[in-house]
Amino acid sequence: MVYVQTLVNGIVLGALYACLAVGFSLVWGVLNVINMLHGSVIIFGGYLTFFAWHSYGIHPLFALPVVAAFMFLIGYVTQLLMINRVIDQPVLTTLTLTFGLDLILYNFMTVYYTATPRRVTLDLGALDLFGIAVPVDRVFGMVLALALTGLLYLVLRRSRIGRAIVAVRMDSAAAALMGIKVDRIYAITFGIGALMAGATGAIFAMVYPVTTNLSGTYLGKAFVVCVIGGLGSVPGALAGGIVLGIVESFAGQFFGPQHALTVGFLLMLILLVVKPTGLTGIKGYE
Amino acid sequence: MRSNVKFPGLFILAAGLAAGGLPVSAAKADIKIGAPLALTGPLADEAKKQELVWKMWLEKVNAAGGISVGGTKHKVQLVQYDYQSDGQRAAQLAEKLITDDKVDFLLAPFGSGHTKIVGTIATRYETPIIACAASSESVFDQTSGYLFGTLSPNIGLFGPMVKYFREKMPQLKKVAVLGRDDVFPKSTAQGISAAAKAAGLDVYYDQLYAVGTMDHSASLSAIKAGNPDWVYITGYTQDLILARKQMNDLGVKAPIITMLAGPAYKEYIEGLGNLANGVTSSTWWHQATSYSGVGVWPTTEAFYKEFVAKEKSDPDYIHASCAATVVVLQDAIERAGSLDKKKVRDAIAKTDITTFYGPIKFSANGMNAPRDLPIIQVQDKGIKVLAPADVKNSDMNMIK
Repeated sequence: MVYVQTLVNGIVLGALYACLAVGFSLVWGVLNVINMLHGSVIIFGGYLTFFAWHSYGIHPLFALPVVAAFMFLIGYVTQLLMINRVIDQPVLTTLTLTFGLDLILYNFMTVYYTATPRRVTLDLGALDLFGIAVPVDRVFGMVLALALTGLLYLVLRRSRIGRAIVAVRMDSAAAALMGIKVDRIYAITFGIGALMAGATGAIFAMVYPVTTNLSGTYLGKAFVVCVIGGLGSVPGALAGGIVLGIVESFAGQFFGPQHALTVGFLLMLILLVVKPTGLTGIKGYE
Repeated sequence: MRSNVKFPGLFILAAGLAAGGLPVSAAKADIKIGAPLALTGPLADEAKKQELVWKMWLEKVNAAGGISVGGTKHKVQLVQYDYQSDGQRAAQLAEKLITDDKVDFLLAPFGSGHTKIVGTIATRYETPIIACAASSESVFDQTSGYLFGTLSPNIGLFGPMVKYFREKMPQLKKVAVLGRDDVFPKSTAQGISAAAKAAGLDVYYDQLYAVGTMDHSASLSAIKAGNPDWVYITGYTQDLILARKQMNDLGVKAPIITMLAGPAYKEYIEGLGNLANGVTSSTWWHQATSYSGVGVWPTTEAFYKEFVAKEKSDPDYIHASCAATVVVLQDAIERAGSLDKKKVRDAIAKTDITTFYGPIKFSANGMNAPRDLPIIQVQDKGIKVLAPADVKNSDMNMIK
């Protein structure tokens, strides 16, 4: 029974990791931008959700679509006005730019909201499935991860914009020759990444304390999940998140919680050596 | 060519910002006290507590004409830099404060880790430094002679708490300890584990979790399987909020739940709501105490009232301990009758006073002398003091 509980713990934790990583992976895969802003955007989404609940009594699940849409706008404008100016430069340039933007957003939030941990204290409790406890808020996280990943997968495969994003991902010069407005597609993609981060922030506000202290932790976790799952692959981010969650959960049980993160990083290093394309083994061409 | 004209100004500004910001005040003053503060980054909230009480003290001292040195009043200036919660930058700025700004004395940053780093620099330049938020003895184990701390050693947190809980729950037997793998939380987890074992309790779970852990379910599932009487978890506020919430999610129950130093901070209680009720902790200071002595705040009540009037909220032990550091420094300068660093260091070492914060007498390693520290519990989302008997204002409630 203990092992089943550990497995369930790992799966729901992994779903939260997947939430963190899907948007980050998409931006990295399509734009070749390592978005250092991602962790802070999640925190920003968390703050908006927290204050919607704290000040106006709006439930985080109702705040989620509004926060996600707002973050899409922020992401779209950021890419269009700033990142597109250096998108053709080496990856280190875009990384530096997003790092600078992250410093601005991070410090704005620390000054404006302070780093004091806040949390939506709804405490939805846990489901008892034959003696296995499954926290309800984490189930929401899992549903969100699956829904967002599924939706994004469908958008990328079935919609004109989705095919345009994939086309730009494969060959931006050829896509431009086919009449695709590459700058606009870049902005939409970055906007979708920010939308995912905002939605994640809304769910996380019920699970984790909202504080800028966790921005770096979220970014680091998204990075590890992407490398494990496969860069640019949306299903890869989901798979990477779940695998990392399960590995950390069992590592925490067998080797002690002190070593759980180490085992996760070890998995990443092993994959980088033996299978650099990640678990899904594809390069993000959906 | 025009850009060449602008460049030096921009360069100087950029260099200043890169160094962590410009000094807050450029006014001339006789006594300069340097303070590397983590005003941005993860420790920003704690550093702002330090800055707040030091400025409260500064206003009062300067309004009274300054500190008396050999019968002459000297105004005081606080020279501070933001070290952005980066230990290496704290060391660089401490060195700059001593060598460039020529400060006379230093105040240490928040936390045991950064205090140790800055304390090493101060020792190298033989500059007295007083810490207000470092309670791990490992910070003071190099007996530098220049580093002092107003918090008493962590040891005062353990024995009295084990004794108190055994009195309140004679059948207390099974204990689970989970600590963050970081200087202060690790030393307190190890300390309580040792004290519980020495008292004959069964510490069946005794583990550390890594910094950056986003999930405690593996640890808590193992703790739950052991059916604990007492769960003791250490960490910083966000860790403890997460751990307490996950305890509730996973159905981990115990009559006694202790989290260090969660309940000592109001944000812990606000972040947990009803889940905070019943959680016990230790603290180095609480406003329920009633000390009187030297300094700009002659009594605990005077400090408390002034703080509440200014901030509209209660002070915590970090506020009080940091306010006490400057009270100690002022007292030592006045007794030394000199600004000579060596003489002031000697005066600090000989300190034996009572302040609004409590008694302050430094041990040979520079830490405030050990004492039984208050045990507190969250009751109806407020803090009650359970022990010692002279400051107690409520009885302990077991968690059902």
